[in-house]
Amino acid sequence: MKGARWRHLAQGDLRASARELLATGGRMQMAYAWTPPDGAPELRYVATPGDDAAFMVWQCKLTADPPSLAAIWPLLGWYEREITDLYGIRFTEHPEPIRLLLHEDIPPPFRPMPERGPSVRLHPGTPEAGTLPELLAPDVQALPFGPVRADVVESAKFTFLYVGEQILHYVPDLFYKHRGMELRFRGVSAERGAILAERVSGVGSIAHCLAYCQALEAASDCEIPRRARWLRVILAELERVYNHLHYLGHLCNTTTLKVGEAQGKLLEEQAKQINARLTGSRFLRSILIPGGLRRDLAPEGWLTDRLEEVRAQSAAYVERLEASESHLDRLITTGHLSDRVAFEQGATGPIQRASGADRDLRRDHPYAAYAELPLTVPVLPDGDAYARHRVRVAELDSSIAVIQRALLLLERGEVRVPCRPPPGAEGLGWTESPRGSLFYAVHVGADATLARVKIKSPSFSNWRVFPFTVHETNMMDYAINEASFGLTVAGCAR
Amino acid sequence: MALWTLVGLAQGKATTAWPKHGADGQEGVLGMPRYQEAACREGCSECAAICPTGAIRAAADGRRVELDYGRCVVCQLCTEACPTGAMEPSGDWAFGVRRREDLRTAETAAPRPQTAPRSAGRKPFRRSLHVRHVDSGSCNGCESELQALYNPFYNLHRFGIFFTPSPRFADLLLVTGPVTSAMQAPLRTTYEAMPQPRWVMAAGTCAVSGGIAEGGYACGHGLDGVLPVDLYLPGCPPNPAALIEALLLFLDRAPQRVTGGRIGQ
Amino acid sequence: MANDLLAAAALFWIAAGIVALIGRSPGLARAALASGGIAAIVAAVATLPGDTHAVTLPLRMAGEQSGFRMSPEALWLMASGLIPAVLACLLGSPAPRGQAGWCFGAASCLLGALGVFGLDHGGFFLVAWEMMSLGGAVMILSEELAPETGTPVLFMLGMLEIGTVAILVAFLLLAGAAGGLGFAGFARVGPTLAVGARVAVGVLLVLGFGAKLGLLPFYEWFPGAYGAGSGATGALMSGVVLNAAFFGMSRGLLAWLPGAGPGGAAGLGVFVVAIAVLSAVLAVLYAFQQEDWRCLLSFSSAENAAIAVTALGAAIIFRADGLPDLAGLAWTVALIHLAGHALAKGCLFLTADGVRAATGGYLIRHSLLARRSSWIFGLGALFAAMSLAAMPPQAGFVSEWYVFQTLFQGFHLPNLAGRLTLALAGAGLALTAAVAFATFVKVFGIGLLGRGNHQSGRVGAGTVGAVGLLGFSVIALAAGMPAWLSSLVGATILQFGVDSPARMRDGWLLVPLTAKFAFISPSKLVIVMPLLALLPIALLLFGRRHEVRRVPVWYGGANRDVERTATTALTFSNALRTFYSFIYRPTIETTRETTGREYFVRRLSFSHDVAPLFGPTLFAPAIRLVTAAADRMRLLQSGHLNFYLGLIGLLLVVILGLALI
Repeated sequence: MKGARWRHLAQGDLRASARELLATGGRMQMAYAWTPPDGAPELRYVATPGDDAAFMVWQCKLTADPPSLAAIWPLLGWYEREITDLYGIRFTEHPEPIRLLLHEDIPPPFRPMPERGPSVRLHPGTPEAGTLPELLAPDVQALPFGPVRADVVESAKFTFLYVGEQILHYVPDLFYKHRGMELRFRGVSAERGAILAERVSGVGSIAHCLAYCQALEAASDCEIPRRARWLRVILAELERVYNHLHYLGHLCNTTTLKVGEAQGKLLEEQAKQINARLTGSRFLRSILIPGGLRRDLAPEGWLTDRLEEVRAQSAAYVERLEASESHLDRLITTGHLSDRVAFEQGATGPIQRASGADRDLRRDHPYAAYAELPLTVPVLPDGDAYARHRVRVAELDSSIAVIQRALLLLERGEVRVPCRPPPGAEGLGWTESPRGSLFYAVHVGADATLARVKIKSPSFSNWRVFPFTVHETNMMDYAINEASFGLTVAGCAR
Repeated sequence: MALWTLVGLAQGKATTAWPKHGADGQEGVLGMPRYQEAACREGCSECAAICPTGAIRAAADGRRVELDYGRCVVCQLCTEACPTGAMEPSGDWAFGVRRREDLRTAETAAPRPQTAPRSAGRKPFRRSLHVRHVDSGSCNGCESELQALYNPFYNLHRFGIFFTPSPRFADLLLVTGPVTSAMQAPLRTTYEAMPQPRWVMAAGTCAVSGGIAEGGYACGHGLDGVLPVDLYLPGCPPNPAALIEALLLFLDRAPQRVTGGRIGQ
Repeated sequence: MANDLLAAAALFWIAAGIVALIGRSPGLARAALASGGIAAIVAAVATLPGDTHAVTLPLRMAGEQSGFRMSPEALWLMASGLIPAVLACLLGSPAPRGQAGWCFGAASCLLGALGVFGLDHGGFFLVAWEMMSLGGAVMILSEELAPETGTPVLFMLGMLEIGTVAILVAFLLLAGAAGGLGFAGFARVGPTLAVGARVAVGVLLVLGFGAKLGLLPFYEWFPGAYGAGSGATGALMSGVVLNAAFFGMSRGLLAWLPGAGPGGAAGLGVFVVAIAVLSAVLAVLYAFQQEDWRCLLSFSSAENAAIAVTALGAAIIFRADGLPDLAGLAWTVALIHLAGHALAKGCLFLTADGVRAATGGYLIRHSLLARRSSWIFGLGALFAAMSLAAMPPQAGFVSEWYVFQTLFQGFHLPNLAGRLTLALAGAGLALTAAVAFATFVKVFGIGLLGRGNHQSGRVGAGTVGAVGLLGFSVIALAAGMPAWLSSLVGATILQFGVDSPARMRDGWLLVPLTAKFAFISPSKLVIVMPLLALLPIALLLFGRRHEVRRVPVWYGGANRDVERTATTALTFSNALRTFYSFIYRPTIETTRETTGREYFVRRLSFSHDVAPLFGPTLFAPAIRLVTAAADRMRLLQSGHLNFYLGLIGLLLVVILGLALI
């Protein structure tokens, strides 16, 4: 796979390799399955080795039911359940043999022909998604919330096992919105694939599309022009700016700081209007394409000033937030996430950085023009809602600084080169989205259309972590805690 | 708290006076492509070939194309692919219509006769409409824009339109997303829970036709066939101004701009 | 005639006890118990507002005879307590075994109560008092409903014996001055006692009777003992027994210790009010947290008794400060409060037995019995729960309204201490009333209305009838309050020399006592507040024009799972438990069974509790002390025959020595 180091693994070596990765200080990123045109399904694991060099991809041809690695890498529990849902591949000794994506008992949609592969089978009667643990207490009330929840929010069903104010256990069911986006890439041209990638998560349009484009560019060894690389940095950081401003406003909403909410949302609106003026889309859509940009942008002359206005206002805004005790009281110590849970369940982005991990793909595995930019990566050890808030505040500041610097360094030039992935090519692309690390693994078919695209969104990782900050807390903190994570459901459910 | 109030007051009014006058906040926003039939080259169907959602089809006579704006995801690919400029990028986003047919270009260029607005039952709601939103599988772009309606710039409250937490006191069900199979039942239950009279609005191309996520193992084809729709608003996503226009159109406080797939003024 | 009827009642109860002892026919014993109760009620109705003629009993103790005379308040309290008792006796204990033992215990209890109400000699009184206590213990022990009934009953008896000893000491102090154990003598010498002695006697009486009434810290035996018995037992203990204990306290404090001098009596009143209000607040806070019908109702009994004692304390303060009309008001209020409480509480205790018959247990769970059983059952229980929650138009509303009015009259008092006490008491009782309201919303809402999937059977016809009858008697008490008040005229005139009840009503309206301090009449409230129901009725009528469309509960669009998503008794009360955690000191334990790693939870178990306030701080050290003392005394139980013979010999020598002297 282009963009990453390669390693073939026999099925029997999976556990040993997983343990070795853990022992050598590496990190597991994601796992997915795919069926090459010629034969049996195979598993792919993407990992960061301990030396923090290029990503490592493990390829494992299936000969029987593969072993579950969830006991070694708990974050893999969800990926394995997803593979079971989509491919009908069962993992032996899986600790949670429960459906994840699918609410109906349908045949695995990615299932290859039945005669191929020994391990392929349906899994009827698997417990439904969102299944609660068995409960040995008649006093405990199950409090369902959703999937249609109060306010204008994305659909997801949360079940609280609670005893009046106190939450004992929390089970989110986030896949009511599962649209089967990954399967939609099958048979689509690289160009159209960008339109799909932009619509996986609306507020992450750039991050998704950029990771997708970079995966294809890696697959086709395509070097994109300098101006396009710098413009991509500007676009990616503009996305971070409006998302983080929304985050701050929404957090104020949950702590009932109404004026603070209004001001945060107004700043977000200003950022979105800047987006529209720059690209014609408030979500920065219809601009990225494998090979560069679809058309040149003209940020010169006005963007610096508009951004400076936003920066000045948001700096004053953040200062007022920091002086609002009622706001801070609700954040400090709320929803504590330990660094261990964050690591083992694969927390990413600001969530992980607020729990003490100094990781940022823009700096550690630079793409676009990030290698040429000095980047400050805010890290806080506290792991509470306030730390998550502060990390985002610092990122907002740094994002605007990065854009201003990029605008200074931006030179005239081409923005697009042809990008034709060769048949059978594979590529891995990643971005550090506003919510964390985002991976696209792209497999090109024999007819140069896409054969398999795997999307690892940051919300998928962070939703996995989130429940462990909710168990044994109280109801009053829940909304604040959820807002402090700043997650999307669409990105998670895909 | 007092400090916040003072700061808020000192900042003055942020809300636009649009649609009466003033800015709609959509400067530079690209809308649906505008089709100049006269510029279309015979036998060319580049736009239809590139369209990811099948919103453009070559007409039977091969001399022009037929558009279904209800399927358009505003990706601008057709405007880039068109060799003659017949598909023109535009700022047209006010595509709220009462009938699905109004989003399709007619076989004949003659505009359909405008149906009389079915305003009878809606009259009492003109200045007070309560909306329950249901996300039936959107990409959250629509939610982001719906949430923006409450920001001080658009301030939806000034129109007497409110989002409600429960369908029990909602008049309009505003649905986004292509209706995933898992969301079908909750969507229907929510609709059933609404008191009568009740209306349904399909907001965003996904809800109108399924959009980019149409079909597949997990998605439907938008709201048609699931719930009776009274208002269609394509867009990917429809921007806040488009949402406001459509809601006002529903309340007969704004005219319908699009008929027979053509936007007028 | 009244005395004949009371004698008949006593004979019926003795007969019931004998029949039960023979163990042949529990049915006959129950019939005898009920007949005795009816005879006593008829006697009370026939005699009120007067009192019975004094008779001298043909029994002697230490050379003294006891008279027997029922004062009007005794008749009132006995009759109101006996109404649920009669029904409880007719139904009997629902326990599968021990019917005969229960009947014997009930007979002893009722006889003891009759004695407490009527006897006027300290010695006989104490015998009756002990009969009443032991009768209760016998009832609970013979039912064998809980696997471990011994310990809570022993705890109860221990607490009650502390009370008895306190009463005994008080009697001895009084008898020392009066030269005999006759109550007439007590009343004579009481005012002449030194202030210190008077305070001591007062405190001892509060302690002694408070043990039975559940004043602090004694209410802590309530949940254990009541929770080990049946609802029928609870109906007796919370009705006639509780009323008898209140009568004893009221007579002791009012008749033997009238406020002759300044300071002393009012001080006693302040003490009584303070203890009672604290007890009410604590008892109702604990009541709210209970998940067992009987435990909850028992704490609520302690709370209601404490409210009555608060009124009694107010009466003492008012009388000491020369406001007999207000004292009469306070005292009358205590009497009607206890009457309403006895009826409502008896009703709910019998409801609890119905719940047990239907669901197999006493836990407050969703059973939907209000719908699954006869409407009479549901309505009766509703009336009783409303009354205990002090909701109009029930008896509990009227009496609590008067309680508050009484306390607010505190501004008439000349001294600051009294005014402050009553104002604070008002605040305390307001908290009590609010928590009591939530408590009975929980009982009725979850226990009877709650719609879960718990299977439930039928409630017996007898229970339905009894619950319905008691429920309707609660509302009858409220509606006919002006009439019932007239039967208390005699009591207040005898006690305070004023006709307070007459000034509490105007024709068929209940009115404020004093013109100086305006209050809305509770009758008017009772009439006006239901008028508010006209609003929904009007809406319903106007809404008729539109077709009513019924759709299931929305539940966020998800499937409904009524069983698991219904509010449980714990979730209802846990918020308060968190807020008052400094009182409750709640403990919660959650254990997670996981598969492999801690993240994959397979099974969740959960347990919780609230800690008693006095158990660990007061009773546990006391028990430890006794155990330690017993350890020391173990020497006496060495097991050596010679040592025992030596002890006997020593005793003989001592006796011989005493005889020689």
